[in-house]
Amino acid sequence: MRLHWLAYSFVLGLTVLSFYGLISFGNESLDTSLLQDSYFYSILGFTLKQALISAVLSVGLAIPIARALYFLPHLPYKKLFLAFCLLCFVTPTLIVITGLVALLGRSGFLTPWLNTLSDNHWNIYGMSGILIAHVFMNMPLAVRIIYLELQSIPETSWKLASQLKLNKADCFRIVEWPTLRNTSILLLCFIFVLCFNSFAVVLALGGGPQSTTLEVAIYQALKYDFNIPEALTLAWTQLIVAGGLYWLISRFGSLSWKNVDSSRNVWRPKKGTISIQASKVMYGLAWIILLLPFVSLIPGLLDSKLSRPDIQAISRAAAVSIGLAIIAATLAMSIAYALLHPIRQAAMGAKLKRLWLLESVATHTLISPAMVLSVGLYIFLLPRIDIEQWGIVFVILLNTALVIPFAVKKLKPRLLQFDQQYNRLARSLKLNRRTLWRIEWPFIKEIYLATFGLVLVLALGDVAIFSIFGTTEWTTLPWLIYGYASSYRIAEASAASFILLILCALFLFLLEKLVHKKLALRPLMNQKLTDEKQHKEGDTHA
Amino acid sequence: MLNIQDLLLELDGWPLRYDLQVQAGEIVAIQGISGVGKTTLLNLIAGYLTPDSGTIAWNQHVLNDLSVEQRPVSMLFQDHNLFEHISVLENLCLGFKTTASIQVPIQSIKNAAAYLGVDEHLNKKPATLSGGQRQRIALIRTLLRPEAIVLLDEPFAELDPVTREKAALWTRDQAKTAGKTVLLVTHQEEDVARVADRKVILT
Amino acid sequence: MRKTLSLIAACGIVNSVNAADLTVYTYDSFVSEWGPGPQLEATFEAHCQCDIEFIAVDDGISILNRVRIEQDKTKADILLGLDDSLTEITRKEGLIQPHGIKLDTLKTDLNWHDPNFIPYDYGFFSFVYNSDKVSEPAVSLKELIDSDASVIYQDPRTSTPGQGLMLWVKAVYGNQAPAAWKQLATHTVTVTKGWWEAYSMFLEGDADYVLSYNTSPAYHVIIQDKPQYKAALFNEGHIAQIEVAAISKYSKNPDLAKQFLQFLISPEAQSVIPTTNWMLPVINNIELPAVFDTLIAPKRIGFTPKEIAKKRKKWLREWRSTAN
Repeated sequence: MRLHWLAYSFVLGLTVLSFYGLISFGNESLDTSLLQDSYFYSILGFTLKQALISAVLSVGLAIPIARALYFLPHLPYKKLFLAFCLLCFVTPTLIVITGLVALLGRSGFLTPWLNTLSDNHWNIYGMSGILIAHVFMNMPLAVRIIYLELQSIPETSWKLASQLKLNKADCFRIVEWPTLRNTSILLLCFIFVLCFNSFAVVLALGGGPQSTTLEVAIYQALKYDFNIPEALTLAWTQLIVAGGLYWLISRFGSLSWKNVDSSRNVWRPKKGTISIQASKVMYGLAWIILLLPFVSLIPGLLDSKLSRPDIQAISRAAAVSIGLAIIAATLAMSIAYALLHPIRQAAMGAKLKRLWLLESVATHTLISPAMVLSVGLYIFLLPRIDIEQWGIVFVILLNTALVIPFAVKKLKPRLLQFDQQYNRLARSLKLNRRTLWRIEWPFIKEIYLATFGLVLVLALGDVAIFSIFGTTEWTTLPWLIYGYASSYRIAEASAASFILLILCALFLFLLEKLVHKKLALRPLMNQKLTDEKQHKEGDTHA
Repeated sequence: MLNIQDLLLELDGWPLRYDLQVQAGEIVAIQGISGVGKTTLLNLIAGYLTPDSGTIAWNQHVLNDLSVEQRPVSMLFQDHNLFEHISVLENLCLGFKTTASIQVPIQSIKNAAAYLGVDEHLNKKPATLSGGQRQRIALIRTLLRPEAIVLLDEPFAELDPVTREKAALWTRDQAKTAGKTVLLVTHQEEDVARVADRKVILT
Repeated sequence: MRKTLSLIAACGIVNSVNAADLTVYTYDSFVSEWGPGPQLEATFEAHCQCDIEFIAVDDGISILNRVRIEQDKTKADILLGLDDSLTEITRKEGLIQPHGIKLDTLKTDLNWHDPNFIPYDYGFFSFVYNSDKVSEPAVSLKELIDSDASVIYQDPRTSTPGQGLMLWVKAVYGNQAPAAWKQLATHTVTVTKGWWEAYSMFLEGDADYVLSYNTSPAYHVIIQDKPQYKAALFNEGHIAQIEVAAISKYSKNPDLAKQFLQFLISPEAQSVIPTTNWMLPVINNIELPAVFDTLIAPKRIGFTPKEIAKKRKKWLREWRSTAN
């Protein structure tokens, strides 16, 4: 069997086995009576509502910030800001929640001020907290993607627009909107799906039975009532709603996860003084808002006096976490590359249906309920293997499976671009596999490494899977944080959180930095490539 | 002999028909107005397009069912002939099947580069070069590769008149010495006169 | 003990590992380095000249779920860390066997006669407050619910203290429980998934009262030297949580398992548990730090495990639809 079909069997196999595990346990079927329960509809309604508002807010706020970044090319620390945006998206939810509570909780730093504004009705728990956390994590991603998309507007469009003396509104409608529209819709959907499947945030900040998402309900059904029929019904609902929406939209196009290119001096229309000032203020505000939850962790950190065993435990857990995340990320990158092979073939053959089908399979773990995946697999494996001995292997495998969609989505555009530009040439030159790889690697290296960093950090933050398959001998840093917190050691927990945050930032920036260094060495080449990308990309995406 | 018989391909609703015989070692210029299917013909011979009917044969061997990689063809495209992210020299060394006994003809490559005035750029990335320089580099590789059939799609389009003449003469000289069979798509009468043995006008 | 699992194992070359003589399924905090696990393990291993191994999962309910899935393939000899609300379900699933241990050393207040389960510690669900902030704490559940003091408690679907509060409200209010939940919701800060989220929010100052145990103040005094945290004594009485252990039906070493349960209620083990698991001992005459004498000693009210098993689902639904 070819290697890439092995990769497909891996991602599909995990899902099939986990559903098999759930369904075969006691031969239980769906609980259709749930569909008559008003509770079910209130959960579904809440899940949809919060996901929709989160997505609209994230994208709505991101557009003006991204435009500010775009029209003021010389803003200070812009590159750092874009990197920081990515960090906000991948930071373990655990840390975001701690930071937001320290900032906006009952005794948070901003709470007195919020209470004055709201006549003492401020409460982070409930819808407001869920929305704030979701927007905090997803809006920066949207800023980044929209900004990079705006950058792909050709200089000639702006020159033409100014020649034709278009007014501001027409400029926006004719030049920016066609670019923004597509990206915004895709981002809306992507963020909607992420928030639709949201788990940790809703559990921590939901504040009561009225704010339950399907994922949380699945967790409760599985874990505490061991009610498998109910869990299955909820899981199918989630799969159908999130999957249906996601797949529908993915047929219209796909998000391109571009990397930050070294800034190019593209000619852009000059803005008026007022709008320049407004953009600057917005940029400053964005910095402050994104930094605040992290800064508010610092007092807790200063409070903690770590003992020697604590330091040992933290360093050990950090080492384990890094090791596991590196293995999972390496696996995910290799599997994603293998998964993309038939997708590239389909793209080159312009077989759109096949392309769509393959990509759906390759990225399906993005929408399938993670809780079902891990619990189902657990039920399947428990009677069959020694979980204490092999659990850690499945921690790695499941983490791998869950980050594969991100790797696939990020690598795909670059590989398709390579094919589009060079496939004919490579075939004409009759290059063998090895030579071809030698040429392809430098072409994808930058994005490959940056993606590696992204999936590494995503895997680094896992607690959900570890809580099911992990063993104490392999305690990871996020798990240790939970451990500290559950034994009243809040100060140690915040110290460990901070270390986890620094690790995430380090990996992310290190791998992005590597990329930038490379780019700085060959600015011209990059210029050429991006130019080429511009008129190519239009027809790259299916 | 390259024998193209009753070749038919329907492209976007337009039927394209080709009938053409080229002797081994012959250089033929292909001409015709834009959109008549010159590049399509080259793509059919190279194997990027599959005809609806008819045959393409080389020395009595039918090529139709062979993949791009299996055909004895070296082709110069209108653009994207170089990998932008590796050096010019690395680009030039691609496309030669090397074994223990057969090496890349590095000396010939360097001589050709010197003759065509691009030898000082060998260690640069293609992106730093002008269109004309890139075209000459790609031309060198296309002709030096050990393939019997050479397909050139507007190979001199971006060159200035002086270089153009030099490159044209070099191409003919190289093809004749190595006994290559060449199909050359061009709009310029002077190219035809300098390089080709005869010309075919597609209608 | 089994620490042979090495990186090599993760890479696929698994060392052969000898199975321990006795395998105990328990919850995480029991075996953490600050929990009772390590000390109990050392003492018992010295006693029996044997090797015991703890396998830790999230919490009590996860222990039950795991043996439910594993059935006869389970490695467990002992299930340790279930509580009295789970005993009926576990018994019905047929996962355990009688322990055959005499129960006459147990505190008589516990009134414990279960043939399958041995209690090893207990505590009373209580609302904990900071006496620096709350000078006149509520003296009854009704007073608390009718007040406007901010409260954090746990989800009864996902946490044992949360379930405790559900039983408490039911025991105090009976049919009036829905109205009580509605009233409580008006001054509830949040309902958390688990105990620690609630408790850490409380320590951050997010609420006046948090649902916890009557023993929580002992921790603050002994470990942190902070006497201001107190548990409120309610005159209606409190719901107790009794933590229990049992022998798996599929144990390969039932004699040693019985020996371990016997050890759990010995003075040796019982003197370790209060200051590591922060619960009360189940036998009398255990010497404890002075602060344990200052803890509130509430009257015990509540339901039998059988009643809980029967009505839990209905009560949960009631809570779910009214606690908004």
